[in-house]
Amino acid sequence: MADFDPSVTLTRDGRVAIITLNRSEHRNEINVDMTFDLADACLSAQQDDEVWAVLLTGSGDIFCAGTDESELASGWQEASALDRLRVCESVASIDKPVVAALNGDAIDQGLEIALACDLRVASTAASFGLTHLEKGFIPWDGGTQRLPRLIGTSRATEMILSSRILASDEALDLGLVNLVTEPEDVVSRAIELASTIARHGPTANRYIKEAVMKGLDMTLEQGMRLEADLSFLLQSASDRAEGLASFLERRPPTYTGK
Amino acid sequence: MPDSDVVLYDKLGAVGHLVLNRPKAINAFNIQMRDELYLSLSAANDDPEVRVILISGAGDRGFCAGADLSEFGTAPSQVVARRVRWERDLWGLFMSIRKPLVAAVHGFVIGSGVEITCLCDIRIASDDAVFRMPEAALSLVPAAGGTQTLSRNIGLGESMNMLLANSPMNAQRALSVGLVHRLVSKKSLLDEGFAVAEVLAALDPRSIASAKQTIQTGLDMPIDQGIGLERRETAKLISSR
Repeated sequence: MADFDPSVTLTRDGRVAIITLNRSEHRNEINVDMTFDLADACLSAQQDDEVWAVLLTGSGDIFCAGTDESELASGWQEASALDRLRVCESVASIDKPVVAALNGDAIDQGLEIALACDLRVASTAASFGLTHLEKGFIPWDGGTQRLPRLIGTSRATEMILSSRILASDEALDLGLVNLVTEPEDVVSRAIELASTIARHGPTANRYIKEAVMKGLDMTLEQGMRLEADLSFLLQSASDRAEGLASFLERRPPTYTGK
Repeated sequence: MPDSDVVLYDKLGAVGHLVLNRPKAINAFNIQMRDELYLSLSAANDDPEVRVILISGAGDRGFCAGADLSEFGTAPSQVVARRVRWERDLWGLFMSIRKPLVAAVHGFVIGSGVEITCLCDIRIASDDAVFRMPEAALSLVPAAGGTQTLSRNIGLGESMNMLLANSPMNAQRALSVGLVHRLVSKKSLLDEGFAVAEVLAALDPRSIASAKQTIQTGLDMPIDQGIGLERRETAKLISSR
């Protein structure tokens, strides 16, 4: 097994799980192997109680250039072929905060993966786009739904219909990414952000993510109810008492996840 | 009985002016403030002479430093806390008011301070304002609608950055993402707040109420139902002339 190089790696930096798309010789394009490996990595990060935040990045100088088209050559005409290549639900089903470190281009399915994360840190050298329409397709791994919810209907429609590639400064202006930094600093800056988040109350983080994401699909009044109920539920956690005590005693909190 | 008011309420013409008034604590939101804000807001809402409600914070340091954590967890149980929350539903009262709500905020605008701001329709800030949501860091969930109103007002990406990462947002950024609609100098903040309020007070209150209702309720509906609501509201306005 010495020459076996997994297509997705999972490592740890403190409380942060780092998932890396690891097929840089193929521009980290998604094939069926990666679909399984990424789903496994996401599930491990989700189930590991020691992991309080997740970072998703790519090896080399590209985040992910899209789908490996050689996987599609035989079955491209069949909708079921795409089912084996979808990965974004695996990413989005992590209920902990997920930070994307966009070390390079995130195109097509690569951008859809970034959209399934909660926060995005991007390289100044990276480009972004959903170019499916140029090939007679539409985004098929969540892009038509997540892009408008992130940057608004108007800008998302323009991006998808025109298949336009954006540079990092425009991506920042549109709110497609949260932060832009030099290529060599992307991963360290993203780890810093994920580590900051991982120092917060882990249950609070998960409940906030749930309230925001589920609340988008609710009326405002229903969303207020969900938020309030999660807030009352959190009152039963010992971390909440620790948070208040640390504030009143002016010291950093020590959370346990309980 | 507390001997001093932590919410001041003044009527100046058609403008009802509410001031969060615990300046030594940067107007930290406590139980007394909740109760007084509920009473003052109800009074302003019920008073037909009041056409616009303006909210600001007393003192030099900020609009509101967030919840007063020294009073947290004093409810005997989650069951009681939940009952009290809905018995005196201050945030629901904010959302139900059909008069324009104007926030004029400065300095520290933290936690519930951001949430109160988001519950207002028109938001003016002085250029020294800093906005921040520290709840996750304290192992709390925002409980005045922040997880709902922020994403609806400034978008998902900016909201997650504030809510999960506790990232501070300066006044200029707040303006560009739509958290506030105008920046002014600190010394002119209240004058500008009143100027905006007076422009709104000169408009037909039924039209304003109808616009607020149609926009807010319509966002919770599929578009065809929203269009239907808009048509009914327009017809009601015309027939009432």
